[in-house]
Amino acid sequence: MLDVALVSLIQDMSEKAGVEGTIQYWARVGESLAKRMGKEAYMGWPSFNVALREGRTAFSIEGSVTALTDLAITDVDGDVVGYIYALETCVFNPTIVRIRYSVGELPRADSAVAEEYNNSVRDTAVCNFCVIHQRFREEVAKNISIADQSLDCVQLANRGFSGETKITEDALKKIGINPEYVRSLLRNYACVYAIMMRGARLKGESEEA
Amino acid sequence: MNERRKFLIDDNPFVDVAACLFLEDIADKQGASGMNNYLVSLATSLAKSMPEEEYRTWDQFLDSLVKGESIISAFEDVITITPHCAVTTKCPFTKGWQEYTKRIGTFSPIHSAVAEYYNSVYKPGTINSMCIIHQTFRNAAADRIKVAGKPLKIGQIAAVWEDVNRKIAPDEWMPILLEKAQISRTDLNMILRNNADVWVMYTD
Repeated sequence: MLDVALVSLIQDMSEKAGVEGTIQYWARVGESLAKRMGKEAYMGWPSFNVALREGRTAFSIEGSVTALTDLAITDVDGDVVGYIYALETCVFNPTIVRIRYSVGELPRADSAVAEEYNNSVRDTAVCNFCVIHQRFREEVAKNISIADQSLDCVQLANRGFSGETKITEDALKKIGINPEYVRSLLRNYACVYAIMMRGARLKGESEEA
Repeated sequence: MNERRKFLIDDNPFVDVAACLFLEDIADKQGASGMNNYLVSLATSLAKSMPEEEYRTWDQFLDSLVKGESIISAFEDVITITPHCAVTTKCPFTKGWQEYTKRIGTFSPIHSAVAEYYNSVYKPGTINSMCIIHQTFRNAAADRIKVAGKPLKIGQIAAVWEDVNRKIAPDEWMPILLEKAQISRTDLNMILRNNADVWVMYTD
């Protein structure tokens, strides 16, 4: 109910404060949630991945997240500095269905917010809800450390409710993953992102330099 | 309750927790009254965004209500005890609250402080911020419903929250509310054992 209520405010808010205002609002909501969830520390990637599987990390609030352990991210020295993670179902999918059956349609501002975000922040949103998700994950990553090193979360790909996709090819190049492989992941997952050690010197980055 | 209906009324814990924290931030800056204003406008805006309804008879309205087809029961599982007494079986914010207590900690006291503010300024019927959204929405949704040409009216009788806190309408209001709802005080206590909210529906 609260999700549908917040969405019903988007149109009004976008008309009054502009779509930029809605982006700031969603970003603040995501940031505030992440900050309040507190810090987490893990000894290594295996313990983090187990915590994720058991729904104990802040990332798990979004639903079922799978650690794709076959897709390790390595740095220039070949050490594992992160993994790719995939969210099975977007947490807003049920919200969109609920909106369809209660209010009738998504506010027009939904696509306008996503478009503005893609133009002014980064080209990774398929709908306005992506703003809250992506900001939330970025902040959560800052609060988690693995082997005393804080993390970074990088958005790689996502699939919207009606099938539209966004694939961040630049980020994939840096971590050395083929975009076509990630595209195939979107058949089974709604959102794909990388969690890795903050400041890691990635192979793809050194090739670019 | 069928699977589809359950899916439709299940809340989104991610958004519920995020929204609760956001509301707490609002309260830090604007106090309980600011938070209350936000909650009331949130619920009113939601109801206003939903289509209006007209029913030819009271029975037709009741049928739509319990099937979850009416806007008033769009977000909650409602059963009727009498033709005028409706019961919400489970608070739609339960999942969000459970996720909050699991991931953040004890529910911030501001959520009950804002309810006290609401109870003193509007109507004494809420336990916490979630009740404000719920009850305001229900009243605003009722404003959009007509039964046999007359506007629907709603009166809150009692609510029970997950932490076993209860809020029952003031004693002086009870005889009228119970009479309109066609239940006794004993009935009410029995209903409250395993339900979340009891309310009366009528037209003038």
